[in-house]
Amino acid sequence: MVTPIYTMGVDVGGSYVKAVLMSYDHDSGEHKLLDKQTEKIRKRNPKDVVVETVDAILLRNKLNFDNDIAYLASTGEGEMVEKKTGHFYSMTSHARGGIFFAPEAKTVVDMGALYVRAIKVDPRGKVIDYKMTGQCASGSGQFIENISRYLGLAIEEVGPISLKADNPEVPSGICAVLAETDVINLVSKGLSTPNIVKGINISIAQRVIKLLGSLRTESPIVLVGGMGMNEGMTQAIEELSVEKNKEDNKFISHPDSIYSGAIGAALWGGFRYYKLKEKQAAVVA
Amino acid sequence: MAQEAQKEKSMILQKEMIDGLFNDLAQVKETGKKVCYTFIPGNLSELIRTFDMLPVYPEINALQSAMRKKSGGYIKEAEKNAHSEDVCTYVKCDVGMMMKGNIGPTGTKIPEPDILLLSYTGCFTFLKWFETLKREYPNAKVIMVHTPYQENAEITPEMTQYMVKQLKEEVIPQMEEVTGIKFDEEKLKGFLRLSKEAEDWITKIFDSTKHKPSPIDAYFAGVYYIGPINIGFRGTQEAVDYYKELYDEIQERIRLGLGPITPEGEMKEEKYRLVVEGPPNWTSFREFWKIFYDMGAVIVASSYTKVGGVYDLGWRHDAERPIESLAEYCMNCYTNMNIPQRISLLSKCITDYDADGYVTNSIKSCNSFSAGQLAMMRDIEDHLEVPVGFIESDLVDPRYFSYSNIKNRLESYFQMLEQRKSLKETV
Repeated sequence: MVTPIYTMGVDVGGSYVKAVLMSYDHDSGEHKLLDKQTEKIRKRNPKDVVVETVDAILLRNKLNFDNDIAYLASTGEGEMVEKKTGHFYSMTSHARGGIFFAPEAKTVVDMGALYVRAIKVDPRGKVIDYKMTGQCASGSGQFIENISRYLGLAIEEVGPISLKADNPEVPSGICAVLAETDVINLVSKGLSTPNIVKGINISIAQRVIKLLGSLRTESPIVLVGGMGMNEGMTQAIEELSVEKNKEDNKFISHPDSIYSGAIGAALWGGFRYYKLKEKQAAVVA
Repeated sequence: MAQEAQKEKSMILQKEMIDGLFNDLAQVKETGKKVCYTFIPGNLSELIRTFDMLPVYPEINALQSAMRKKSGGYIKEAEKNAHSEDVCTYVKCDVGMMMKGNIGPTGTKIPEPDILLLSYTGCFTFLKWFETLKREYPNAKVIMVHTPYQENAEITPEMTQYMVKQLKEEVIPQMEEVTGIKFDEEKLKGFLRLSKEAEDWITKIFDSTKHKPSPIDAYFAGVYYIGPINIGFRGTQEAVDYYKELYDEIQERIRLGLGPITPEGEMKEEKYRLVVEGPPNWTSFREFWKIFYDMGAVIVASSYTKVGGVYDLGWRHDAERPIESLAEYCMNCYTNMNIPQRISLLSKCITDYDADGYVTNSIKSCNSFSAGQLAMMRDIEDHLEVPVGFIESDLVDPRYFSYSNIKNRLESYFQMLEQRKSLKETV
């Protein structure tokens, strides 16, 4: 197979399956995101969702899995992906994905459905250190989804609506159940939806800032995972960072941030593909 | 179906000792022996034996109930009777068990206490626990020993004197009164000699983790190893024999270059060596251990194996100073040490046993362990530059053990360890 090769990454998360097709250029180190697809798992079998998603990408790009894909890498809960060539741990994948979006980043903040994880990385995307939020769901994207459902918003609307807030009210940041009760009270009080949503984003952003402080992170900081696409969250994090006299912190977000795990896995897959090739060549020699 | 757990010979020996104790407890009506309820940290086993009493350890009953998947029901029973969700789950499990007939882990009824001996060390919940028990058992005599906290990281002669006075003037006379047995100092000295011997063996056993691969797991298996000295067998020939046997088994494993035996089988490859702070989760003990086993992680030292006594730094029971020695023992327990002392002890473990990392299992309902854990972790991370991990669970409340959450966190932690190791190797 000649360079560049095609690799695929599949990230099976708590709510969504995310899949990408990449061209991996071992020689130049210039890798490209060619295609991507997100599928909500809902009540389906995640295995079937993965097959559908991968097949859809292959079909769109007129590729044949057996002949054209050098490596299919899974991550997250993706160990059950039947066609995978190899599996990569999610933190490793998100760290690599973060570096793909922002090669200069020194910290990757993975904000997924279940938790927020701040990761210190080296320029290769290798993990140096990390910290995670506590077990409580009020630090997770799932919490935002629950609240958006309650407020009758599509998840994509949460970011833009948050930007319209003028006087946000912050609910409990300690417990998701308490926060949901707070939100019900805020709705009853007649608070506008933008101010409620911004308040929610701030409550999670407070946790992110605390996490960054405890990890003693360095800037630039790239925000990845599903919540990384929420521009309201990015704004809340930036504002809080300034409030904490950390105005030098530079935050980078990316519209494809939900794909960071899948991208990272696909890139590690390409890396491992060539490593194996080198080993095989050495054995033959 | 789960693979049947492999058991070391020492585990079988220990089971026999525990069964024997519970059988003795079941027969107190016939034998007329008195029963003393007490706690593991600062337990005065030798003194209890001097008065021919049988000990009951509520924490042991609670953890045994958890391992038999009964603690959830007991806790709910206690909560129905107005014990708050935030109360220590050892307490609620014990209280619930009592309300359900006080049937112990071996299926026999645990007798009522004649004495509630509270030599509490560093855990204020103990006070409230025995207050509750006193209400349930109004005929029991409560004997309270106030153990001064090592606030300034030292045991002063005045502190020892203070405790000796309590032991001589309050504890011993009341034990004489309840049992009708006169205090025999020579008998106590005999037990203390055997205690010292057992303590020497146990120190050697936990020191064996210096070997690579470590022949034992000093947390998951370690909690079994400390069983005999923590459930009333300290000061007995049985305990000494058990530890000699265990030591020989370990020496054989070292000779053969073998890693620890786990319920899943023998640990094939030691990938990571860890020090763990905090008690284990008992409701999902085997699943919890398996996460570490699957990752190739061996625990080379843990704070929890020191709750019944800290012997690493050379302290031993001393038959020549019997009462003073009991006093020092209580004050020297892990939970009676201040936070800098704990940091220093665990740092020494990390260095001496060449650990790759440090993991804290923060227990939702245990104040005496959880207070200060984050500060300790940060301090250790800073001065030893060792990767640290943090997980949350509970002692015996199954509702607070979230398998996927813990696995997820530990997986992240092991990824960091692996990458740190590979970075070290490439530098």
